[in-house]
Amino acid sequence: MPHARARTIRAVAVLAVVAAMGLVACGKSKKSTSASTGKTVYIGFVGAKTGDNANLGINIRDGIKVAIDEENAKKDGPTIALKEFDTAGDPAQATTVAPQFIQDTSIIGTVGPAFSGETKALIPLYQDAKLVFISPSATNVKLPTIVSPETVFHRVIADDALQASGIASYLSQTVKPKSVAFINDNSEYGKGLAVDVQRLSVDKGIKAATTQVIDPKAQDFSATVNAVKASGADTVFYGGYYAAAGLLRKQLVDAGVKGTFVSGDGSLDKGFVTAAGPAAAEGAKLTCPCNLAFSSSTGALKTFYDQFKKDIGKDPGLYSPEAYDAAKILIKGIKAGNTTRAALLDYVNNKVGSYAGISKTIKFESNGNIGSTQFFVFEVKGAEIAPSQTIVADKPAETTTTAGSGGSSGSSTTVTGSSGSTTTTVASTTTSKP
Amino acid sequence: MRFEGVPIDLCFHCLKDQFGPQTFDGLTLGAIYALIALGYTLVYGVLQLINFAHSEIFMVGVFASLFAMHAMGIEQGDPAKTGFVLLGVLLLVTLAGMLMSGATAVVMERIAYRPLRKRKAPRLAFLITAIGISLTLQEFFAIRYGRNQLGVPRVLEKKTLFVIGGANVRTDKVLVLVAAFLLMFALDRFVTSSRLGRGIRATAQDAETAQLMGVNIDRVVMLTFLLGGLLAGAAGTLYGVFFEAARYNIGFLPGIKAFTAAVLGGIGNIRGALIGGLVLGLLENYGSAVLGVQWKDVFAFTMLVLVLLFRPTGLLGESLGRARA
Repeated sequence: MPHARARTIRAVAVLAVVAAMGLVACGKSKKSTSASTGKTVYIGFVGAKTGDNANLGINIRDGIKVAIDEENAKKDGPTIALKEFDTAGDPAQATTVAPQFIQDTSIIGTVGPAFSGETKALIPLYQDAKLVFISPSATNVKLPTIVSPETVFHRVIADDALQASGIASYLSQTVKPKSVAFINDNSEYGKGLAVDVQRLSVDKGIKAATTQVIDPKAQDFSATVNAVKASGADTVFYGGYYAAAGLLRKQLVDAGVKGTFVSGDGSLDKGFVTAAGPAAAEGAKLTCPCNLAFSSSTGALKTFYDQFKKDIGKDPGLYSPEAYDAAKILIKGIKAGNTTRAALLDYVNNKVGSYAGISKTIKFESNGNIGSTQFFVFEVKGAEIAPSQTIVADKPAETTTTAGSGGSSGSSTTVTGSSGSTTTTVASTTTSKP
Repeated sequence: MRFEGVPIDLCFHCLKDQFGPQTFDGLTLGAIYALIALGYTLVYGVLQLINFAHSEIFMVGVFASLFAMHAMGIEQGDPAKTGFVLLGVLLLVTLAGMLMSGATAVVMERIAYRPLRKRKAPRLAFLITAIGISLTLQEFFAIRYGRNQLGVPRVLEKKTLFVIGGANVRTDKVLVLVAAFLLMFALDRFVTSSRLGRGIRATAQDAETAQLMGVNIDRVVMLTFLLGGLLAGAAGTLYGVFFEAARYNIGFLPGIKAFTAAVLGGIGNIRGALIGGLVLGLLENYGSAVLGVQWKDVFAFTMLVLVLLFRPTGLLGESLGRARA
């Protein structure tokens, strides 16, 4: 009878949906690399293992693994094991996954969350649980002030105030554009970076030809490309991640907008070259307040490069050195006897001191930021990412973009070239906060 | 101007400045939407079913064309082809896309929809199945080929042929427009003039009477899905050539847009799908020129709502069954 069958089908449908929701909530993979004997202490990885920009999360996870394997091989303390949590780089999914590691009291610290959007969403949960975390890659400026008081947030990468300042200096001193089109993907990170870069560039006298926003989930950016072309800009800055950055660059080049393309650390991945195609990707300038490990690196970075290549089987990527350092800091605290959440939180806040990491020297400020002033520019050459320039920037003065306080950053930058490029020292200008 | 703290910068002169390029690009993308929309509209006309899995049929077409290129030894970074080689490659790749999509659609009909049809299951069951197939296909491709974006090699050099009214008339845009219009014209002629097409229209008008008149309903339904699949596969190939990207969830957004286009033009109306696709492409681009790209979708869907308010059956209104011969 049609009615009864319809009712049955409806009931089955409802049950199926409820079951599916339950599975999704409880069933996300939790892999742990455990060791043989002795006490095991767990740290977590929170970031994108799947999704459009998963490469960045996987780079971090691999960097952590190298650090853990190295430390476990020393056998001078408890065994460290990693539990992984996939957020797909999406703040909504991150919030769904969060209860799994917040409520798992065996996890006493995490490396990650990786992206700024998901970090912003998760900080309140971390703070409530007093669970310490060190992000290797979340660079949005406002993150330390999401909750107040805040003790759990730490990052081992300079924030986007530094990156924006560095990019603005790079544009005004090296690129010297006639006008720049500023495009962003409306994400927490991308929009924040592009808006700041635009503001600082305009302060330095660069003409902003147009400001555009794209939807990174779409493929078609023809409306934006047409607007950029009509604006006559000869340089494009994009704030966002590599998958959309590459497609945008390809469509710009195909439409005849062939000038310099600059983007931040979210685009600094091989995926950019794949998305743009090797021809269009050539010459793109990708920046980061972080350094990459190449086979041509020296010193500690080279050692890390070799170890990574041996353990994981491929080249280390963006944020791998930062993730390595973050994991090492946590493990150092664990081996010093801090094996509870409260103890580890206290260690990271007060007892790290000045840590000589492979990516940089790490000294946490009171709000969890680090005082690094190094800023790197990379270039796509021959379908590979190669170092281009190192810029040492002064950390900009406190900048706020809320209504009422009009402070603009005062920064002086020295541009130094690496491997053959010319060295220029620039007269510094400082503007003080009104 | 700000609206409740949200920025809207009206830029009418932007529309005037960019009218040529936005129109041409809108028509190009609209042509792809129209091809996909035809699949939605055909299936709805015959079965009164919104085939939500159609976006994944499109995605299969994108992947199939990519694999065809790889099978022919064409990789990313290879030089573009010219002349007869180019023609041959494009034809083969399009054929591969169409066949794979068509096959997927037919198999899907056979194993998922036909049992439901035979048991006279309620509408809800069809919808759930459609969503389930959509997710299954997406996840299959995601697990098998990864969730990263794959690059489609460039076989056609994207040269600007000429500039008219500011519009950049490029080789790949011309390809998309010509191919799409040819296919849509072919489908229109097939449905209006051929015997099988008459069967489709008869089934759309009244399935029981058509059966009494000797039309094999099962075959008509299979043919409907096949046609929709073939067109979606062609659209997928064109999309892959145009955007040079393939991803497991690449069908999601175009699928929604194409469905919107079908409704805008009149769901169940073939010419409506064509008009709807083109109009939607134009609206999106005009809307982004005036309001900014963030408002593109809001503008397009607002237009849809307005059209439906005053013309609930869509722009062209008539259904597949009642179309003039």
